[in-house]
Amino acid sequence: MLSIILGTVTMAAALRLAVPLILSSIGGCFGDRAGIFNIALESFMLCSAFFATLGSYYSGNPYVGVFCGILAGLGCSALFGVMVFHMGSSGMVVSIAMNLGMDAFTSFLLLNILGKRGSFMDPKLISLPTLQLPLVDKIPYVGEILNKHNLVVYFTLLAIAGTWITMYQTPFGLRLRSVGINEKAAQTTGTNVLRYKWYSVLITGFFVGIAGAILPLGGTSIFTENMSAGRGFLAVAAIMIAKGNPLLASLYSFLFAYAEALAASMQNFGIPSQLVLALPYFMTITVLLFSGIRTKMKNPSKEAA
Amino acid sequence: MKGYIKLLGLDTVWNILKYVFSFLAVMVIGSVLILWQGENPVTAMTYILEGSFGSIRNFGNTLRWITPCILTGIAATVAFKSGVMNLGIEGQLYFGAYAAALFGFYVHLPRFLHVPSCLLAAGIAGMAFALIPALMKLFFNVNEMITTLMLNYIAVLLTEYFTYIVMGISAAGDSLALSTPPIQDTARLTNLVVKTNASTGFVIAVTLVVIIFMVYRYTIVGYELKQVGENRRFSKVGGVNVTWTFLAIFLLSGFLAGLCGSIEVQGTYGKFTASFSNNLGWDGIMIAMIGNTNPLTVLVVAIVWGILKAGSLHMERMCDVNRLTVLLIQALFVLFITVDYRTLFNYFKRKGAIE
Repeated sequence: MLSIILGTVTMAAALRLAVPLILSSIGGCFGDRAGIFNIALESFMLCSAFFATLGSYYSGNPYVGVFCGILAGLGCSALFGVMVFHMGSSGMVVSIAMNLGMDAFTSFLLLNILGKRGSFMDPKLISLPTLQLPLVDKIPYVGEILNKHNLVVYFTLLAIAGTWITMYQTPFGLRLRSVGINEKAAQTTGTNVLRYKWYSVLITGFFVGIAGAILPLGGTSIFTENMSAGRGFLAVAAIMIAKGNPLLASLYSFLFAYAEALAASMQNFGIPSQLVLALPYFMTITVLLFSGIRTKMKNPSKEAA
Repeated sequence: MKGYIKLLGLDTVWNILKYVFSFLAVMVIGSVLILWQGENPVTAMTYILEGSFGSIRNFGNTLRWITPCILTGIAATVAFKSGVMNLGIEGQLYFGAYAAALFGFYVHLPRFLHVPSCLLAAGIAGMAFALIPALMKLFFNVNEMITTLMLNYIAVLLTEYFTYIVMGISAAGDSLALSTPPIQDTARLTNLVVKTNASTGFVIAVTLVVIIFMVYRYTIVGYELKQVGENRRFSKVGGVNVTWTFLAIFLLSGFLAGLCGSIEVQGTYGKFTASFSNNLGWDGIMIAMIGNTNPLTVLVVAIVWGILKAGSLHMERMCDVNRLTVLLIQALFVLFITVDYRTLFNYFKRKGAIE
């Protein structure tokens, strides 16, 4: 049993499953820190997953697919930005409409462009190749976990550090956070609030775009309807618990993905598949509960409702 | 023209214009999408109307679809009006439906007791499922939006698992057509239109909407509930127990969602089927948003929704236009309705004046 819980196979699978969650949660952190309420990550992800599939299928090059995914993510975030910043819509309503609409939109395009219902699989749809790292594979335990992944996995590991540095060590990050804390105060110091909000939404779109692209191109080479299956919401939960800290958010994302990987390998032990599938969601609720209890203990006088 | 504007008030005029703009925009986009699929938009829309009103049977079918739309719509309305962001209507609906299926199968009662007790059991199940996020919010200040979203997924999977337990099969195997045994005849709702699934559930739904409208319009409780949503601090100073209101509203919303699940089981399916609801809870949330959380508008929007739901199936059978087109248009309508046209208009007017 222990070999499953801590084994290299489970850990490597968890890392692979964590990549979309981590990428979308570090992207979402920027939006969260700029004070934008965005639970549309789910729809961004689904949209970019579809366009990544298209890109890879027509060009035969998975990296073009990832690029198309990024463009789709940016497009979705631009739509979100226009609606929320310029049209006076509420972020929550736009998020819900986009989440529901994107499900129909991708299925619609799947049917009308590729002529398929339900799922799309084709030998011409090529996934990202896995890389063999020269030195890392010599390290005993860590090497087995870290080796033989695709480029995006390694990019993710760098991106965690990169976003953390951007958020906490650069003037850009400072201004971005100040916009989220107090818009008026930020404006009096000469920060262009609207511009920073746009930056943060586009950064979100960029990272969620890669996260969506990795869903069909991360090894499975298949696109299915509603492929994101709640991953965007898990990422939002991770952001919320981490309070917009990219490092913590990716940690929680990994935790959720680990629950998923563990559940997948436990399926062989006769545990009902429904309970196994529900494990990441249970995990999220539990973590949310504990983080709530911790905040409450630190600050008991604060009122809830 | 000016006289009418004065009569109605500028806000009302803009409100009406908002719906008109959104409707036109959606119609244009919808027509383009239908043309892309190689059909005439007018034909497709005629098929929708034919599918919902073409015959008595079609009309009954439309009533059947309007019923859940009203109930989930009103469940969302009640919650949003008081500032409770209950996005878990889907999950609460599942638990309600499951409870109704079990209560209808295992308990033997005379008809006049069985039907209401079944409805009540479902409502309580929905309420119990809404209690989890409500308590988490009240005691630990966990955002109810994200917990209810997670609980939706959990509800679908858990009810599927419970269905396995009831069926007495091991949990291995596929989930296609997995359902509980059919409920007793005494628990089924009476049919309204012969040979269709339109049941007295429709009457129950409309009655509930009217009651809720009356409560908001004419009672102090209704005023307090509305006030909590609009200005929490003000209502607190005014002596409203905000915490209890929050809990009560969350539970009421869960109750209504559970009721919807139960009417689906008692009126239409006669049993609980795993993952049966095709986003009914989300439909309710969209309806509440379009209806601007006013019970009467919600009723109207729910009726339109039901017509589209029943008609789109017919349209898909009759011509090449896919049902997804309608779903897409519904989401787009929500997107367009949220736009603040008045501010936008003033902005462009000012810009024009400067140049």
